[in-house]
Amino acid sequence: MWVKLFLLILFCLMIAGAVHFSEPSKSEQSDSIAETRASLRLLTWNIGYAELEDDTRAHDKDLPAVADVIQREDPDAVALQELTGNAQLKVLLGLLQGKYRGAVAQQGSGDRFEAILVKDAGATFTPVAAGGHYALAASFRPSSSMPEITFLSAHADAFNAARRRRYTEALIDWAQSRMQSSDVFIAGDFNFELKAANETNLYTDNLKHDSESYSHILRNFRDLGSGAGDTAINDRRIDYIFAPAKRAHVGRVEVLRDAAVGRMDHWPLLAEVGF
Amino acid sequence: MFALLKLELEKLFRAKSFYLSFIVLISFVVLMLWGFYTYAERKTGGQAVEQFKYTYESKQYFNGLTFALYSVLFSFTLLLPIFVSMSAGSQIAGESRAGTLRMICTRPISRASLVLTKFLVTALHAALLLTFFIGLNLIVGLIFVGWGNLELYPGPLNLVDAPGKIMRDEALMRFAYAILSGTWALLVIAALALLCSVVFDSPVQATVMTIAAYLTLYIVGRVEFFEHLRPYFFTTDMEFWRDVFKPDIPWQSFWHNAFVCGAYTIGLLLTTVVIFERKDIVT
Repeated sequence: MWVKLFLLILFCLMIAGAVHFSEPSKSEQSDSIAETRASLRLLTWNIGYAELEDDTRAHDKDLPAVADVIQREDPDAVALQELTGNAQLKVLLGLLQGKYRGAVAQQGSGDRFEAILVKDAGATFTPVAAGGHYALAASFRPSSSMPEITFLSAHADAFNAARRRRYTEALIDWAQSRMQSSDVFIAGDFNFELKAANETNLYTDNLKHDSESYSHILRNFRDLGSGAGDTAINDRRIDYIFAPAKRAHVGRVEVLRDAAVGRMDHWPLLAEVGF
Repeated sequence: MFALLKLELEKLFRAKSFYLSFIVLISFVVLMLWGFYTYAERKTGGQAVEQFKYTYESKQYFNGLTFALYSVLFSFTLLLPIFVSMSAGSQIAGESRAGTLRMICTRPISRASLVLTKFLVTALHAALLLTFFIGLNLIVGLIFVGWGNLELYPGPLNLVDAPGKIMRDEALMRFAYAILSGTWALLVIAALALLCSVVFDSPVQATVMTIAAYLTLYIVGRVEFFEHLRPYFFTTDMEFWRDVFKPDIPWQSFWHNAFVCGAYTIGLLLTTVVIFERKDIVT
Protein backbone atom coordinates (compact mmCIF):
# COMPACT_ATOMS: atom_id res chain seq x y z
CA MET A 1 0.00 0.00 0.00
CA TRP A 2 2.78 2.41 0.96
CA VAL A 3 4.42 1.93 -2.43
CA LYS A 4 1.24 2.96 -4.23
CA LEU A 5 0.81 5.92 -1.90
CA PHE A 6 4.42 6.95 -2.47
CA LEU A 7 3.98 6.69 -6.24
CA LEU A 8 0.73 8.65 -6.09
CA ILE A 9 2.37 11.47 -4.11
CA LEU A 10 5.30 11.47 -6.55
CA PHE A 11 2.88 11.59 -9.48
CA CYS A 12 1.09 14.59 -7.96
CA LEU A 13 4.42 16.31 -7.36
CA MET A 14 5.38 15.79 -11.01
CA ILE A 15 2.10 17.28 -12.18
CA ALA A 16 2.55 20.22 -9.81
CA GLY A 17 6.11 20.72 -11.07
CA ALA A 18 4.97 20.63 -14.69
CA VAL A 19 2.26 23.22 -13.97
CA HIS A 20 4.68 25.39 -12.01
CA PHE A 21 7.17 25.47 -14.88
CA SER A 22 4.63 25.76 -17.70
CA GLU A 23 5.72 28.47 -20.07
CA PRO A 24 4.18 31.91 -19.83
CA SER A 25 2.49 33.15 -22.99
CA LYS A 26 4.94 34.62 -25.41
CA SER A 27 4.82 38.38 -25.56
CA GLU A 28 5.97 40.47 -28.45
CA GLN A 29 9.68 40.92 -28.06
CA SER A 30 10.73 44.30 -29.36
CA ASP A 31 13.04 47.00 -28.22
CA SER A 32 11.57 50.36 -27.49
CA ILE A 33 12.03 52.91 -30.23
CA ALA A 34 10.28 55.65 -28.31
CA GLU A 35 13.58 57.31 -27.42
CA THR A 36 14.98 57.23 -30.93
CA ARG A 37 14.98 60.30 -33.14
CA ALA A 38 13.61 58.68 -36.27
CA SER A 39 12.42 55.34 -37.50
CA LEU A 40 12.55 53.40 -40.71
CA ARG A 41 9.68 51.16 -41.75
CA LEU A 42 10.39 48.36 -44.21
CA LEU A 43 8.15 45.78 -45.81
CA THR A 44 8.92 42.69 -47.86
CA TRP A 45 6.40 40.60 -49.73
CA ASN A 46 6.57 37.83 -52.29
CA ILE A 47 3.31 38.48 -54.11
CA GLY A 48 3.54 35.39 -56.32
CA TYR A 49 1.24 32.37 -56.14
CA ALA A 50 1.67 28.88 -54.73
CA GLU A 51 3.32 26.18 -56.83
CA LEU A 52 0.10 24.48 -57.91
CA GLU A 53 -1.07 27.43 -60.02
CA ASP A 54 -0.48 27.69 -63.80
CA ASP A 55 1.33 30.99 -63.42
CA THR A 56 3.01 31.36 -60.05
CA ARG A 57 4.05 34.95 -60.63
CA ALA A 58 2.13 37.94 -59.32
CA HIS A 59 -1.33 38.43 -60.84
CA ASP A 60 -2.51 41.83 -62.10
CA LYS A 61 -5.87 41.48 -60.34
CA ASP A 62 -4.13 41.36 -56.95
CA LEU A 63 -2.21 44.62 -57.38
CA PRO A 64 -4.95 46.86 -55.92
CA ALA A 65 -4.91 44.75 -52.75
CA VAL A 66 -1.10 44.97 -52.62
CA ALA A 67 -1.32 48.75 -53.00
CA ASP A 68 -3.94 48.89 -50.22
CA VAL A 69 -1.64 47.09 -47.80
CA ILE A 70 1.27 49.39 -48.69
CA GLN A 71 -0.87 52.49 -48.22
CA ARG A 72 -2.27 51.21 -44.94
CA GLU A 73 1.11 50.30 -43.44
CA ASP A 74 2.94 53.27 -44.99
CA PRO A 75 6.46 51.76 -45.16
CA ASP A 76 9.46 53.86 -46.23
CA ALA A 77 10.57 51.13 -48.61
CA VAL A 78 8.99 47.95 -49.96
CA ALA A 79 10.78 44.89 -51.37
CA LEU A 80 8.58 42.87 -53.70
CA GLN A 81 9.29 39.55 -55.35
CA GLU A 82 7.89 37.54 -58.26
CA LEU A 83 6.56 40.41 -60.37
CA THR A 84 6.09 39.62 -64.05
CA GLY A 85 7.96 42.75 -65.09
CA ASN A 86 7.98 46.49 -65.44
CA ALA A 87 4.31 46.69 -66.49
CA GLN A 88 3.12 45.43 -63.11
CA LEU A 89 5.42 47.88 -61.35
CA LYS A 90 3.92 50.78 -63.31
CA VAL A 91 0.39 49.67 -62.40
CA LEU A 92 1.38 49.44 -58.75
CA LEU A 93 3.06 52.86 -58.73
CA GLY A 94 -0.09 54.29 -60.32
CA LEU A 95 -2.27 52.73 -57.64
CA LEU A 96 -0.01 54.30 -55.02
CA GLN A 97 -0.79 57.71 -56.55
CA GLY A 98 2.81 58.83 -57.00
CA LYS A 99 3.72 58.42 -53.37
CA TYR A 100 6.48 55.95 -54.20
CA ARG A 101 9.24 55.62 -56.78
CA GLY A 102 10.24 52.19 -57.92
CA ALA A 103 12.26 49.90 -60.16
CA VAL A 104 12.41 46.25 -61.11
CA ALA A 105 15.59 44.20 -61.22
CA GLN A 106 17.27 43.16 -64.45
CA GLN A 107 16.07 39.87 -65.86
CA GLY A 108 18.33 36.99 -64.91
CA SER A 109 17.83 33.37 -65.84
CA GLY A 110 14.29 33.30 -64.43
CA ASP A 111 10.92 34.67 -65.56
CA ARG A 112 10.16 36.82 -62.52
CA PHE A 113 11.50 40.03 -61.11
CA GLU A 114 12.33 41.60 -57.79
CA ALA A 115 11.24 45.18 -57.28
CA ILE A 116 11.68 47.99 -54.78
CA LEU A 117 9.34 50.87 -54.00
CA VAL A 118 10.74 53.83 -52.05
CA LYS A 119 9.06 56.96 -50.76
CA ASP A 120 12.16 59.14 -51.20
CA ALA A 121 12.05 60.93 -54.56
CA GLY A 122 15.85 61.04 -54.67
CA ALA A 123 16.28 57.28 -54.45
CA THR A 124 18.66 55.55 -56.83
CA PHE A 125 18.36 51.94 -57.94
CA THR A 126 21.22 49.53 -58.66
CA PRO A 127 21.05 46.00 -60.08
CA VAL A 128 23.00 43.44 -58.05
CA ALA A 129 24.27 40.37 -59.91
CA ALA A 130 24.14 37.29 -57.70
CA GLY A 131 24.54 33.68 -58.80
CA GLY A 132 23.00 34.03 -62.28
CA HIS A 133 20.14 36.14 -60.94
CA TYR A 134 19.69 39.83 -60.30
CA ALA A 135 18.64 41.34 -57.02
CA LEU A 136 17.87 45.03 -56.79
CA ALA A 137 19.23 47.65 -54.42
CA ALA A 138 17.86 51.09 -53.65
CA SER A 139 19.80 53.88 -51.95
CA PHE A 140 17.78 56.55 -50.24
CA ARG A 141 17.54 58.81 -47.24
CA PRO A 142 14.13 58.61 -45.48
CA SER A 143 14.68 61.96 -43.75
CA SER A 144 17.44 64.54 -43.38
CA SER A 145 18.23 63.33 -39.85
CA MET A 146 18.81 59.76 -40.95
CA PRO A 147 21.84 58.10 -42.52
CA GLU A 148 21.78 56.85 -46.09
CA ILE A 149 20.00 53.52 -46.39
CA THR A 150 20.76 50.80 -48.91
CA PHE A 151 17.85 48.41 -49.23
CA LEU A 152 18.06 45.16 -51.17
CA SER A 153 15.18 43.10 -52.54
CA ALA A 154 16.25 39.48 -52.96
CA HIS A 155 14.71 36.20 -54.06
CA ALA A 156 16.79 33.04 -53.70
CA ASP A 157 16.15 29.82 -55.63
CA ALA A 158 13.12 27.90 -54.39
CA PHE A 159 14.30 24.43 -55.39
CA ASN A 160 18.06 24.17 -54.87
CA ALA A 161 19.84 24.88 -51.59
CA ALA A 162 23.30 24.99 -53.20
CA ARG A 163 22.10 27.70 -55.60
CA ARG A 164 20.55 29.59 -52.67
CA ARG A 165 23.91 29.45 -50.95
CA ARG A 166 25.85 30.81 -53.93
CA TYR A 167 23.24 33.55 -54.37
CA THR A 168 23.45 34.51 -50.69
CA GLU A 169 27.24 34.57 -50.72
CA ALA A 170 27.29 36.94 -53.70
CA LEU A 171 24.60 39.14 -52.17
CA ILE A 172 26.39 39.45 -48.84
CA ASP A 173 29.69 40.20 -50.57
CA TRP A 174 27.97 43.07 -52.36
CA ALA A 175 26.28 44.28 -49.17
CA GLN A 176 29.53 44.22 -47.22
CA SER A 177 31.17 46.45 -49.80
CA ARG A 178 28.44 49.04 -49.09
CA MET A 179 28.33 48.76 -45.33
CA GLN A 180 31.05 51.34 -44.75
CA SER A 181 29.16 54.11 -46.49
CA SER A 182 25.53 53.30 -45.63
CA ASP A 183 23.23 51.20 -43.48
CA VAL A 184 22.41 48.11 -45.52
CA PHE A 185 19.11 46.27 -45.08
CA ILE A 186 18.36 43.08 -47.00
CA ALA A 187 14.82 41.86 -47.47
CA GLY A 188 13.20 39.14 -49.48
CA ASP A 189 12.29 35.53 -49.95
CA PHE A 190 15.36 33.39 -49.27
CA ASN A 191 13.53 30.05 -49.18
CA PHE A 192 15.74 28.76 -46.36
CA GLU A 193 14.39 25.50 -44.99
CA LEU A 194 15.75 25.54 -41.47
CA LYS A 195 13.03 23.70 -39.60
CA ALA A 196 14.77 20.37 -39.26
CA ALA A 197 11.97 18.99 -37.12
CA ASN A 198 9.81 18.85 -40.23
CA GLU A 199 12.39 16.90 -42.22
CA THR A 200 12.13 13.15 -42.42
CA ASN A 201 15.91 12.82 -42.70
CA LEU A 202 18.02 13.57 -39.67
CA TYR A 203 20.66 15.41 -41.68
CA THR A 204 20.77 16.52 -45.29
CA ASP A 205 23.11 18.46 -47.53
CA ASN A 206 20.28 20.90 -48.25
CA LEU A 207 19.88 21.60 -44.57
CA LYS A 208 23.61 22.21 -44.26
CA HIS A 209 23.62 24.61 -47.22
CA ASP A 210 20.71 26.63 -45.85
CA SER A 211 22.23 26.59 -42.39
CA GLU A 212 25.53 27.93 -43.72
CA SER A 213 23.81 30.57 -45.86
CA TYR A 214 21.71 31.83 -42.97
CA SER A 215 24.65 31.75 -40.56
CA HIS A 216 26.77 33.65 -43.08
CA ILE A 217 24.18 36.44 -43.21
CA LEU A 218 23.99 36.59 -39.41
CA ARG A 219 27.71 37.32 -39.12
CA ASN A 220 26.96 40.95 -40.01
CA PHE A 221 23.20 41.20 -39.93
CA ARG A 222 20.36 40.76 -37.52
CA ASP A 223 17.27 38.79 -38.48
CA LEU A 224 14.44 41.16 -37.56
CA GLY A 225 11.64 38.67 -38.15
CA SER A 226 13.06 35.82 -36.10
CA GLY A 227 10.27 36.06 -33.53
CA ALA A 228 7.47 37.07 -35.86
CA GLY A 229 6.49 33.56 -36.96
CA ASP A 230 5.84 31.93 -40.31
CA THR A 231 5.69 34.05 -43.44
CA ALA A 232 4.38 31.47 -45.90
CA ILE A 233 1.91 28.61 -45.99
CA ASN A 234 2.89 25.17 -44.65
CA ASP A 235 4.42 26.77 -41.54
CA ARG A 236 7.43 28.14 -43.37
CA ARG A 237 9.44 31.18 -42.34
CA ILE A 238 11.20 31.94 -45.58
CA ASP A 239 10.86 35.73 -45.90
CA TYR A 240 13.35 37.83 -44.01
CA ILE A 241 14.39 41.38 -43.28
CA PHE A 242 18.03 41.60 -42.23
CA ALA A 243 19.27 44.76 -40.55
CA PRO A 244 22.85 45.81 -39.72
CA ALA A 245 23.81 44.02 -36.48
CA LYS A 246 24.66 47.32 -34.80
CA ARG A 247 21.07 48.60 -35.14
CA ALA A 248 19.85 48.00 -31.62
CA HIS A 249 16.43 49.61 -31.72
CA VAL A 250 13.88 47.34 -33.29
CA GLY A 251 10.25 48.26 -32.96
CA ARG A 252 7.20 46.63 -34.45
CA VAL A 253 7.94 43.46 -36.40
CA GLU A 254 4.89 41.71 -37.74
CA VAL A 255 3.77 39.24 -40.35
CA LEU A 256 0.57 40.70 -41.82
CA ARG A 257 -1.44 37.51 -42.04
CA ASP A 258 -4.65 39.15 -43.28
CA ALA A 259 -2.93 40.70 -46.29
CA ALA A 260 -2.64 37.82 -48.77
CA VAL A 261 -5.25 37.69 -51.52
CA GLY A 262 -6.04 35.23 -54.32
CA ARG A 263 -3.78 32.22 -54.05
CA MET A 264 -0.74 33.98 -52.67
CA ASP A 265 1.40 31.68 -50.53
CA HIS A 266 3.32 34.40 -48.66
CA TRP A 267 2.38 37.10 -46.20
CA PRO A 268 4.12 40.44 -46.01
CA LEU A 269 6.70 40.99 -43.28
CA LEU A 270 6.83 44.47 -41.79
CA ALA A 271 9.66 45.76 -39.59
CA GLU A 272 10.35 49.08 -37.93
CA VAL A 273 13.87 50.13 -36.92
CA GLY A 274 14.80 53.13 -34.80
CA PHE A 275 17.75 55.47 -35.36
CA MET B 1 14.17 -4.94 -1.01
CA PHE B 2 17.98 -4.63 -1.19
CA ALA B 3 18.42 -8.38 -1.47
CA LEU B 4 15.89 -8.33 -4.28
CA LEU B 5 17.72 -5.50 -5.96
CA LYS B 6 21.01 -7.38 -5.70
CA LEU B 7 19.39 -10.44 -7.22
CA GLU B 8 17.89 -8.49 -10.09
CA LEU B 9 21.22 -6.78 -10.78
CA GLU B 10 22.91 -10.16 -10.94
CA LYS B 11 20.30 -11.25 -13.47
CA LEU B 12 20.90 -8.13 -15.53
CA PHE B 13 24.67 -8.55 -15.62
CA ARG B 14 24.35 -12.21 -16.54
CA ALA B 15 21.97 -11.58 -19.43
CA LYS B 16 23.49 -11.80 -22.91
CA SER B 17 21.15 -9.06 -24.15
CA PHE B 18 22.80 -6.66 -21.70
CA TYR B 19 26.16 -7.03 -23.43
CA LEU B 20 24.58 -7.19 -26.85
CA SER B 21 23.21 -3.68 -26.37
CA PHE B 22 26.72 -2.35 -25.72
CA ILE B 23 28.15 -4.20 -28.73
CA VAL B 24 25.51 -2.70 -31.01
CA LEU B 25 26.27 0.77 -29.65
CA ILE B 26 29.99 0.27 -30.35
CA SER B 27 29.14 -0.78 -33.92
CA PHE B 28 26.99 2.33 -34.30
CA VAL B 29 29.85 4.57 -33.15
CA VAL B 30 32.21 2.92 -35.66
CA LEU B 31 29.65 3.49 -38.43
CA MET B 32 29.12 7.10 -37.37
CA LEU B 33 32.87 7.69 -37.27
CA TRP B 34 33.30 6.40 -40.79
CA GLY B 35 30.36 8.46 -42.08
CA PHE B 36 31.28 11.63 -40.20
CA TYR B 37 34.97 11.45 -41.06
CA THR B 38 34.43 11.00 -44.79
CA TYR B 39 31.66 13.62 -44.85
CA ALA B 40 33.76 16.18 -42.98
CA GLU B 41 36.69 15.55 -45.32
CA ARG B 42 34.48 15.97 -48.38
CA LYS B 43 32.78 19.09 -47.04
CA THR B 44 35.92 20.91 -46.02
CA GLY B 45 38.07 19.66 -48.90
CA GLY B 46 38.79 20.93 -52.40
CA GLN B 47 35.43 20.49 -54.08
CA ALA B 48 33.50 22.23 -51.30
CA VAL B 49 35.87 25.21 -51.34
CA GLU B 50 35.63 25.49 -55.13
CA GLN B 51 31.83 25.36 -55.07
CA PHE B 52 31.21 27.81 -52.23
CA LYS B 53 33.16 30.77 -50.94
CA TYR B 54 32.16 30.61 -47.30
CA THR B 55 31.65 27.79 -44.88
CA TYR B 56 30.80 27.84 -41.20
CA GLU B 57 32.71 30.56 -39.41
CA SER B 58 35.13 28.12 -37.83
CA LYS B 59 37.14 25.64 -39.86
CA GLN B 60 37.10 23.47 -36.74
CA TYR B 61 33.35 22.96 -36.93
CA PHE B 62 33.77 19.25 -37.58
CA ASN B 63 35.52 18.24 -34.37
CA GLY B 64 35.23 15.50 -31.76
CA LEU B 65 32.52 17.26 -29.79
CA THR B 66 30.41 17.83 -32.90
CA PHE B 67 30.90 14.18 -33.77
CA ALA B 68 29.75 13.09 -30.30
CA LEU B 69 26.74 15.41 -30.46
CA TYR B 70 25.61 14.16 -33.88
CA SER B 71 26.13 10.54 -32.90
CA VAL B 72 24.24 10.86 -29.61
CA LEU B 73 21.34 12.82 -31.11
CA PHE B 74 20.94 10.46 -34.06
CA SER B 75 20.98 7.33 -31.93
CA PHE B 76 18.83 8.61 -29.11
CA THR B 77 15.72 8.76 -31.24
CA LEU B 78 15.65 5.16 -32.37
CA LEU B 79 18.51 3.05 -31.09
CA LEU B 80 18.46 3.60 -27.34
CA PRO B 81 14.66 3.28 -26.96
CA ILE B 82 14.91 -0.19 -28.52
CA PHE B 83 17.40 -1.42 -25.91
CA VAL B 84 15.48 0.16 -23.06
CA SER B 85 12.26 -1.45 -24.32
CA MET B 86 14.00 -4.82 -24.59
CA SER B 87 15.38 -4.54 -21.09
CA ALA B 88 12.14 -3.40 -19.46
CA GLY B 89 9.88 -5.54 -21.63
CA SER B 90 11.58 -8.72 -20.49
CA GLN B 91 11.52 -7.91 -16.76
CA ILE B 92 8.14 -9.41 -15.79
CA ALA B 93 7.13 -11.12 -19.04
CA GLY B 94 10.56 -12.78 -19.17
CA GLU B 95 10.01 -14.30 -15.74
CA SER B 96 6.55 -15.34 -16.80
CA ARG B 97 7.85 -16.98 -19.98
CA ALA B 98 10.63 -18.74 -18.04
CA GLY B 99 8.10 -20.00 -15.50
CA THR B 100 9.82 -18.30 -12.56
CA LEU B 101 7.35 -15.51 -11.91
CA ARG B 102 5.01 -17.64 -9.80
CA MET B 103 7.89 -18.81 -7.67
CA ILE B 104 9.18 -15.26 -7.16
CA CYS B 105 5.73 -14.13 -6.08
CA THR B 106 5.54 -16.83 -3.44
CA ARG B 107 8.50 -15.26 -1.65
CA PRO B 108 7.80 -12.83 1.21
CA ILE B 109 8.06 -9.69 -0.94
CA SER B 110 5.25 -7.49 -2.13
CA ARG B 111 4.45 -7.40 -5.81
CA ALA B 112 4.82 -3.62 -5.72
CA SER B 113 8.40 -4.00 -4.45
CA LEU B 114 9.11 -6.46 -7.24
CA VAL B 115 7.87 -4.01 -9.88
CA LEU B 116 9.84 -1.14 -8.34
CA THR B 117 13.02 -3.21 -8.15
CA LYS B 118 12.70 -4.30 -11.74
CA PHE B 119 12.11 -0.70 -12.77
CA LEU B 120 15.20 0.45 -10.88
CA VAL B 121 17.29 -2.20 -12.63
CA THR B 122 15.97 -1.05 -16.01
CA ALA B 123 16.70 2.56 -15.09
CA LEU B 124 20.25 1.58 -14.19
CA HIS B 125 20.61 -0.21 -17.52
CA ALA B 126 19.40 2.91 -19.37
CA ALA B 127 21.81 5.12 -17.42
CA LEU B 128 24.72 2.76 -18.08
CA LEU B 129 23.90 2.60 -21.78
CA LEU B 130 23.79 6.37 -22.11
CA THR B 131 26.91 6.94 -20.00
CA PHE B 132 28.82 4.34 -21.98
CA PHE B 133 27.57 5.67 -25.31
CA ILE B 134 28.35 9.32 -24.58
CA GLY B 135 31.73 8.45 -23.05
CA LEU B 136 32.65 6.27 -26.02
CA ASN B 137 31.64 8.95 -28.51
CA LEU B 138 33.71 11.57 -26.71
CA ILE B 139 36.78 9.33 -26.53
CA VAL B 140 36.47 8.27 -30.17
CA GLY B 141 35.85 11.89 -31.17
CA LEU B 142 38.91 13.07 -29.27
CA ILE B 143 41.20 10.42 -30.71
CA PHE B 144 40.01 10.31 -34.32
CA VAL B 145 38.51 13.73 -35.01
CA GLY B 146 40.15 16.10 -32.50
CA TRP B 147 39.02 18.58 -29.84
CA GLY B 148 37.50 21.99 -30.30
CA ASN B 149 34.58 24.07 -29.12
CA LEU B 150 31.04 22.93 -29.77
CA GLU B 151 29.62 25.14 -32.50
CA LEU B 152 25.93 25.11 -33.22
CA TYR B 153 24.10 26.45 -36.25
CA PRO B 154 20.43 26.75 -37.14
CA GLY B 155 19.07 23.88 -39.19
CA PRO B 156 21.06 20.69 -38.61
CA LEU B 157 20.03 19.04 -35.33
CA ASN B 158 17.39 21.75 -34.91
CA LEU B 159 18.91 22.98 -31.66
CA VAL B 160 19.35 26.71 -32.16
CA ASP B 161 17.74 29.59 -34.05
CA ALA B 162 20.96 31.56 -34.40
CA PRO B 163 24.61 30.49 -34.54
CA GLY B 164 26.01 29.77 -31.09
CA LYS B 165 29.05 28.33 -29.43
CA ILE B 166 29.73 26.33 -26.26
CA MET B 167 33.33 26.35 -25.07
CA ARG B 168 35.02 22.97 -24.83
CA ASP B 169 34.98 22.50 -21.04
CA GLU B 170 31.41 23.74 -20.75
CA ALA B 171 30.43 21.44 -23.62
CA LEU B 172 31.86 18.46 -21.74
CA MET B 173 29.69 19.44 -18.78
CA ARG B 174 26.70 19.57 -21.10
CA PHE B 175 27.37 15.99 -22.18
CA ALA B 176 27.37 15.05 -18.48
CA TYR B 177 24.00 16.81 -18.08
CA ALA B 178 22.77 14.88 -21.13
CA ILE B 179 23.40 11.60 -19.32
CA LEU B 180 20.97 12.70 -16.62
CA SER B 181 18.36 14.32 -18.83
CA GLY B 182 18.58 11.54 -21.44
CA THR B 183 18.16 8.82 -18.84
CA TRP B 184 15.20 10.66 -17.34
CA ALA B 185 13.57 10.86 -20.78
CA LEU B 186 14.22 7.17 -21.48
CA LEU B 187 12.49 6.22 -18.24
CA VAL B 188 9.15 6.97 -19.91
CA ILE B 189 9.89 4.20 -22.42
CA ALA B 190 11.09 1.96 -19.59
CA ALA B 191 7.87 2.48 -17.62
CA LEU B 192 5.73 1.84 -20.70
CA ALA B 193 7.65 -1.34 -21.50
CA LEU B 194 7.30 -2.51 -17.90
CA LEU B 195 3.55 -1.99 -18.10
CA CYS B 196 3.46 -3.99 -21.34
CA SER B 197 5.59 -6.62 -19.63
CA VAL B 198 2.89 -7.04 -16.99
CA VAL B 199 0.02 -7.00 -19.47
CA PHE B 200 1.57 -9.44 -21.96
CA ASP B 201 3.09 -12.75 -21.04
CA SER B 202 5.65 -12.73 -23.82
CA PRO B 203 8.73 -10.44 -23.57
CA VAL B 204 8.83 -10.14 -27.36
CA GLN B 205 5.22 -8.98 -27.42
CA ALA B 206 5.88 -6.48 -24.63
CA THR B 207 8.95 -5.08 -26.39
CA VAL B 208 7.28 -4.89 -29.79
CA MET B 209 4.18 -3.20 -28.39
CA THR B 210 6.31 -0.60 -26.61
CA ILE B 211 8.41 0.14 -29.68
CA ALA B 212 5.27 0.23 -31.84
CA ALA B 213 3.62 2.76 -29.51
CA TYR B 214 6.78 4.87 -29.37
CA LEU B 215 7.37 4.83 -33.12
CA THR B 216 3.73 5.51 -33.92
CA LEU B 217 3.69 8.63 -31.76
CA TYR B 218 7.14 9.67 -32.97
CA ILE B 219 6.19 9.36 -36.64
CA VAL B 220 2.71 10.81 -36.29
CA GLY B 221 4.27 13.72 -34.40
CA ARG B 222 6.39 14.52 -37.44
CA VAL B 223 3.46 14.55 -39.87
CA GLU B 224 1.97 17.98 -40.34
CA PHE B 225 -1.61 16.59 -40.41
CA PHE B 226 -1.34 15.94 -36.69
CA GLU B 227 0.50 19.06 -35.70
CA HIS B 228 -2.21 20.02 -33.19
CA LEU B 229 -1.86 16.63 -31.48
CA ARG B 230 1.94 16.83 -31.17
CA PRO B 231 1.99 18.57 -27.74
CA TYR B 232 0.04 15.66 -26.23
CA PHE B 233 2.53 12.95 -27.21
CA PHE B 234 5.08 11.82 -24.65
CA THR B 235 7.59 11.59 -27.51
CA THR B 236 7.38 15.40 -27.82
CA ASP B 237 8.08 15.93 -24.11
CA MET B 238 10.94 13.43 -24.22
CA GLU B 239 12.86 15.74 -26.52
CA PHE B 240 13.57 18.08 -23.59
CA TRP B 241 16.80 16.22 -22.90
CA ARG B 242 18.42 17.86 -25.97
CA ASP B 243 17.97 21.33 -24.47
CA VAL B 244 21.17 20.89 -22.44
CA PHE B 245 23.08 21.33 -25.71
CA LYS B 246 21.65 24.79 -26.37
CA PRO B 247 24.08 27.62 -25.60
CA ASP B 248 21.49 29.11 -23.23
CA ILE B 249 19.51 26.30 -21.69
CA PRO B 250 15.79 27.23 -21.63
CA TRP B 251 15.35 26.16 -18.01
CA GLN B 252 11.66 26.96 -17.80
CA SER B 253 10.63 24.59 -20.62
CA PHE B 254 13.37 22.15 -19.62
CA TRP B 255 11.92 21.66 -16.14
CA HIS B 256 8.35 21.69 -17.45
CA ASN B 257 9.03 18.85 -19.87
CA ALA B 258 11.18 17.00 -17.33
CA PHE B 259 8.27 17.05 -14.87
CA VAL B 260 5.83 15.97 -17.59
CA CYS B 261 8.12 13.03 -18.42
CA GLY B 262 8.29 12.29 -14.70
CA ALA B 263 4.49 12.30 -14.51
CA TYR B 264 4.30 9.86 -17.44
CA THR B 265 6.88 7.60 -15.83
CA ILE B 266 5.34 7.59 -12.36
CA GLY B 267 1.81 7.34 -13.75
CA LEU B 268 2.71 4.32 -15.87
CA LEU B 269 4.60 2.77 -12.96
CA LEU B 270 1.61 3.23 -10.65
CA THR B 271 -0.67 1.63 -13.25
CA THR B 272 1.80 -1.26 -13.59
CA VAL B 273 1.78 -1.83 -9.83
CA VAL B 274 -2.04 -1.76 -9.66
CA ILE B 275 -2.43 -4.19 -12.58
CA PHE B 276 0.33 -6.52 -11.35
CA GLU B 277 -1.16 -6.71 -7.86
CA ARG B 278 -4.48 -7.82 -9.31
CA LYS B 279 -2.97 -10.15 -11.87
CA ASP B 280 -3.69 -13.86 -11.58
CA ILE B 281 -0.32 -15.48 -12.17
CA VAL B 282 -0.80 -18.91 -13.65
CA THR B 283 2.68 -19.58 -15.03
